[in-house]
Amino acid sequence: MKNIKYVCTALLISFVTIANAEISVIVSPSNPNGTLDQATVGKIFLGKAKSFPDGTQAVPVDQDDGAAAREAFNSTILGKSASQLKSYWSRLIFTGKGTPPKQSGNDTSVKQLVANNPNIIGYIDSSAVDASVKVVHKF
Amino acid sequence: MRTKIHWAPSLLAIAIASPAMASDLNVNGFLSVGASMLDDNKASIAGADNQGGFKNDTVLGLQIQKQVNDSTTATGQLVSRGSDEYATEAAWAFVTYAANDDLDLRMGRLRIPFFQYSDFLEVGYAFNWVRPPSEVYRVPFSSLDGVDLTQRFSSGSIDGSVQVYYGRFQGDFNTGTDVYASDYRNFAGLAFAANMGNFGTRLSYHQAEIIMNTTDLTTALGAAGAAASAIATGLGDPSAADDFNFTGQTSQFVEAAFTYDDGTYSAVAEWTALDHESSLFLDDQAWLIGVAARFGDYTPHVTYTEEKDEFDSGNEGVIQKTLPLQSEQSSIIVGLRYDYDSGTALKFEIQNNDENTSAGVDGDSATLYSVAVDVVF
Repeated sequence: MKNIKYVCTALLISFVTIANAEISVIVSPSNPNGTLDQATVGKIFLGKAKSFPDGTQAVPVDQDDGAAAREAFNSTILGKSASQLKSYWSRLIFTGKGTPPKQSGNDTSVKQLVANNPNIIGYIDSSAVDASVKVVHKF
Repeated sequence: MRTKIHWAPSLLAIAIASPAMASDLNVNGFLSVGASMLDDNKASIAGADNQGGFKNDTVLGLQIQKQVNDSTTATGQLVSRGSDEYATEAAWAFVTYAANDDLDLRMGRLRIPFFQYSDFLEVGYAFNWVRPPSEVYRVPFSSLDGVDLTQRFSSGSIDGSVQVYYGRFQGDFNTGTDVYASDYRNFAGLAFAANMGNFGTRLSYHQAEIIMNTTDLTTALGAAGAAASAIATGLGDPSAADDFNFTGQTSQFVEAAFTYDDGTYSAVAEWTALDHESSLFLDDQAWLIGVAARFGDYTPHVTYTEEKDEFDSGNEGVIQKTLPLQSEQSSIIVGLRYDYDSGTALKFEIQNNDENTSAGVDGDSATLYSVAVDVVF
């Protein structure tokens, strides 16, 4: 019985975590691109693609180190841990081949950046989404 | 070495010349502090001795990068190495012109893309070892002055790049015991890299014409060259000694690497071969295979690596066998990387090096204990 209780608690916790952590990848409403798949979003955030599917320049922005949305984004969309990403970027930074997305604060500041610039792509907790931004991917 | 001084100020000038530009000046750095100790002094690994010390694995690098305009970026990286008495050198100093999203032209001081880890050879944080295995990573210089062209490609789940370069390296060729003034002309090569999911591959080819002063008889190569002509005369074939110098003979280097990384388990295999037209350097082959597993912040890893010289055919080979040049060695490296905080890794490593042959005679084996802290910022 004890075990079942633990499993139930664990399930509940993970369910709550998932439910709380739905993340939306967002662009400006004036950005003409529609839904983007996970691979496209991943390529933009890893510096492997520098433009949106329609050819316009894409500028990804990250949330700050340690933000819940960033950790979820790293593991789900990019499939890498924070230290793996740090290692990935250090291989590019020190060869002049790329720079990581700029750390740009929390849900509110990322939403603001995205709303004001059709080239910027970011991610925020779905609960923070409003009409100032357009959702192109959800997870 | 005069270039070392000249590059840095001109680069700084480029970087700060346009303060009105909207883009920022990016400053990044890396620092590795390592200490190592050998259990005895019979063999030599990574410049260490049995008294221990911090010097050989300590490296500081500082990089500045500035987007000058939409298509042009200036990048400079100054590196100061303990193994080089902390002399500061411009490892990179180049201007990038982005012809389009996928095509870059770079000019200046560039890293020679010999190896899988060449681009970030000194950024300890970017790999699991304290230092890349010296059996394979055995070329004693890493940058040239020249130009390169990189074309990136992406198709479905495959992405990668093709890089071609041309340039010249003039500088000291330091074998650890002797230093030779050298000039590598018409230095050119091609590197192809591709990734598909968890798999990666890299193939590269390089060649250069080597001019090197080996007339000083007190140096190993000078003495070997003089001995070669005496032996050739003794064999009744004096012309066999003609190629025991470096007067523009071509050397070639080929490399193939495969990588795998699924997030938990990773592996790397790299094979390389050097082929020298001059007989004063022995041709050789070297390879490594390493595996690692990530358990949270802990990454244990193990690597086997081997290097073996090969003799030329004919009388050149007969002469080579009599000279104290040949080496054959292998190492087993066992280590643990601990990512104890963001951008900081602590590494422990034990390397057992077995010198089957060193300078033409039977070698010894020794064990090197290393600890290092690698930081990127």
